[in-house]
Amino acid sequence: MVKVIKHCWPLVVSLALIYVFHRGWGVLPPLGKVFSPFHGFLQQAGGRGGEADREITLSGLAEDVVVRYDDNAVPHIFARNERDLYFAQGYVIARDRLWQMEFYTLAAEGRLTEVVGPAALEYDRYNRRLGMARTAATIAERMAADTVAHRILEAYAAGVNAYIDGLGYQGLPVEYKLLDYVPERWSPYKSILMLMNMRHTLNGGSDDYRLTNVLARFGPEVTDDLFPAYPAEESPIVPTGTEWGFAPSSVPAVPDTVAYLPESGALAFSVPAPRPEVGSNNWAVGGSKSATGLPILANDPHLRLTLPSIWYQMQLSAPGVNVCGVALPGTPAIIIGFNKDIAWGVTNTGSDVMDFYRIRFQDERLGAYWHDGRWKPTTLQVEAFKIKGADPIRDTLYYTHHGPIVYHEAKSTNYGRNIPVGYAMRWVANETDGADVLTFHYLNRASGYGDYRDALAHFTAPAQNFVFSSNEDDIAIASNGKLPLKWKGQGRYLLDGTSAAHDWQGWIPREQNPSVKNPPRGFVSSANQFPADTSYPYYLDWKFAHSSRAIRINERLEAMENASADSLRDLQNDNHNVDARRILPRLLESLASDDSIRWSTEFDLIQRWDHRNDADAAGAAIFEHWMDELLAAIWADEFPSGEGLLYPSLDRTFELIVHEPGAKWFDRVDTPDTLETIDGIIRLSFRVTIAKLRERFGEPTGTNWAWHKVKGTRITHLVPNFTSFGRHDIPNGGGGGIVNATTGTHGPSWRMVVQLDSVWPVAYGLYPGGQSGNPGSHYYDNMIERWADGRLDALLFLKDVDEPSERLRHRIALKPKR
Amino acid sequence: MLYLLIVFIGGLLSLFCPWWVIAPVCFASCWLFARHGAQAFRVSALGGMTVWLSYGAYLHAVSNGKLTDGVVGIFAAGIPALSGVPSLLLVLLVAALVIGTVSGFSGLAGLKIGRLTRRPRG
Repeated sequence: MVKVIKHCWPLVVSLALIYVFHRGWGVLPPLGKVFSPFHGFLQQAGGRGGEADREITLSGLAEDVVVRYDDNAVPHIFARNERDLYFAQGYVIARDRLWQMEFYTLAAEGRLTEVVGPAALEYDRYNRRLGMARTAATIAERMAADTVAHRILEAYAAGVNAYIDGLGYQGLPVEYKLLDYVPERWSPYKSILMLMNMRHTLNGGSDDYRLTNVLARFGPEVTDDLFPAYPAEESPIVPTGTEWGFAPSSVPAVPDTVAYLPESGALAFSVPAPRPEVGSNNWAVGGSKSATGLPILANDPHLRLTLPSIWYQMQLSAPGVNVCGVALPGTPAIIIGFNKDIAWGVTNTGSDVMDFYRIRFQDERLGAYWHDGRWKPTTLQVEAFKIKGADPIRDTLYYTHHGPIVYHEAKSTNYGRNIPVGYAMRWVANETDGADVLTFHYLNRASGYGDYRDALAHFTAPAQNFVFSSNEDDIAIASNGKLPLKWKGQGRYLLDGTSAAHDWQGWIPREQNPSVKNPPRGFVSSANQFPADTSYPYYLDWKFAHSSRAIRINERLEAMENASADSLRDLQNDNHNVDARRILPRLLESLASDDSIRWSTEFDLIQRWDHRNDADAAGAAIFEHWMDELLAAIWADEFPSGEGLLYPSLDRTFELIVHEPGAKWFDRVDTPDTLETIDGIIRLSFRVTIAKLRERFGEPTGTNWAWHKVKGTRITHLVPNFTSFGRHDIPNGGGGGIVNATTGTHGPSWRMVVQLDSVWPVAYGLYPGGQSGNPGSHYYDNMIERWADGRLDALLFLKDVDEPSERLRHRIALKPKR
Repeated sequence: MLYLLIVFIGGLLSLFCPWWVIAPVCFASCWLFARHGAQAFRVSALGGMTVWLSYGAYLHAVSNGKLTDGVVGIFAAGIPALSGVPSLLLVLLVAALVIGTVSGFSGLAGLKIGRLTRRPRG
């Protein structure tokens, strides 16, 4: 026995070592697999040379497909039929972005715990409560009956799966290796989850409970005064004075009670506030304003800056379609782009499409709730969470006719002891009709204004401002998507879930959504501002994005003559700070009256500042920080942080400073014996700002306080811990309320300018990343420097598969397996 | 000879088989050809490391080096002592540790089990 042990221990040790290195331990990946040069991450190390031409045989294709890659690794796909086109699109995107597209779907489904462990549990739990997976499943099921949409999604999924099927461990994107999991098969459901993820990004925030807390504390008069239904300075999407040209449907009457106030204390929801950084710009100038006599269109959607990038550039060509632009990895068709005749782009409409209803449950089992005079049953769904490195857990979701219960807790209420307080969410993202993918499928093929309007009819959510231009010299913009028909102010506050009058009452007829075609001013534009002024007969929301970008875009387009693609590129990079122009002269007046400030370096920096958020502008760094301090100095006493109260808007605050300097809000409530004035507040907040800047960035020199340094724009990998896969300290200008909307974490995720032509369009575009999702590839982040400089690439748009171009590099022939 | 056997067969099979395929190669080679324990362990470990490190260094050399830096950046995050060390060195160190121990003990196991089975009973 001793002999056996003596001879066998090395074998035991060797097997144990193989076991230890073959599996992951906690956050540590399987070291054997990952560090083997034959299998691990080094297999993804990007080469220095280009790729060679090659042929790949795939089952599922009907005919040959040719993919030509250009010098920016952009694929130009030429198929002989539509099914093969979408198949090839799925295959080609998966080659570059498989890990990323699956990661988005896991996020929307609330399954990130499976790959990153317990740290994602709260995020997952929240996403599951929003009900996105359930909605995606319902849409996928319903779409299976819709031959066109289903055919597209099926073909795309088959293409992605053809790529997955050909992948061994060796070929897996590096993130799978580091996080130690493998891709699941793709399906139409996953493509819809990808769109759900976008719905969440664009419409997944709410101010309702914060404003309800304000109403509960200050009453309706103060709330209406501080939170008006339309801003003092605005430049709406549909120009003021435009005739609506329709007879509006009847709007529901405003009920006696418009809000459900919390019984006691302030509410603390976990629903995030809308992110002001998520927004976009788009515009089109008509032939009367362009040098070519035909329209030029521009679009730049502002999203979180990530690597891999949210967009993927490509050209899709088959009989009946030849289109170029960007796709969302995981979703068929081109989302923002152009073809020979038209160009289109999108910005988020951002109207109020997420409301919360106070639910009165029958008892603690949450099996029924009171609505419209009777008890109605809730439906239950048990959710199981698999958690990497931990035991699985379960969570029960409850659904009402409004939607899912997103928040509940047991506490004593008016209805009885320990009966949970619940809030159900009605959210347009959980609508299951329409087929958003068809809008893009038909826009890809559109040749004029009529086709554009027909394509828009398929779109559900989130409503987007679709800008359009054609080489028939039409320009148009439409806030398109399902918009609930509300009584005026409905959903401004938390609503009463027992009252049928608080339910959504239907939808604004789609053809009556705000839209305008060929306005006399010769251009259309949007920057997430109010779609229409107060003459619009329906209620959309009381608050839209701050108007500064819209004001600047419209004033520049108004002044533009003989516009070229470069004029529009220049406007995309405009750093003018409209807020500074509006309020800084008044603020400087107050500062100048104090000698200790007046002779300071900081005062000199901001006084000499030209109101441009350029990368090297120290004045911009001071101003941007000062605005936060100023708001806090004015509002933090009445609206203490941590109590879930919404601050009045920048627009309203500026109005108070300029026109109501004696308003009681400037006097601090915590110093009853002293009367503070707005001038004192301005000076105090300025001192706080410069003290903080000095502490963080040192002496106030143009270099130390350069705006790009203070702003610190970074483009991070989708996995927060993978910091070395991201890029930091990108030197560029811009800012939150600036047309060049680059903040520290968000910014123009794709910039495109398309100059239409009677023969062939000329287009430019760029995004802050690269085509490849592989952090080892040259094409992972090769566009970032050009993006930061505000440059654009000329986009190669081939007429046919054989068109020569010196920018083409290699080709892949996809052959059907016979 | 033992060394060359491990490097050639191990290297060849690594192209098609799982990462641990060098272990059975070392095991069998040492069963047949190793003379004593120290030799079995040393030559196997060296052979395994030769295969992995040379191919790893080659892949790194023909690449742009970005991925090595990135992956090491993830592992070394929060360990300031590693910040100045070249990333290729760290990658090769980990790879050497993994394959060196696995192949070394596999070679030793091959020698020992070989002796056990060859030795007449009783």
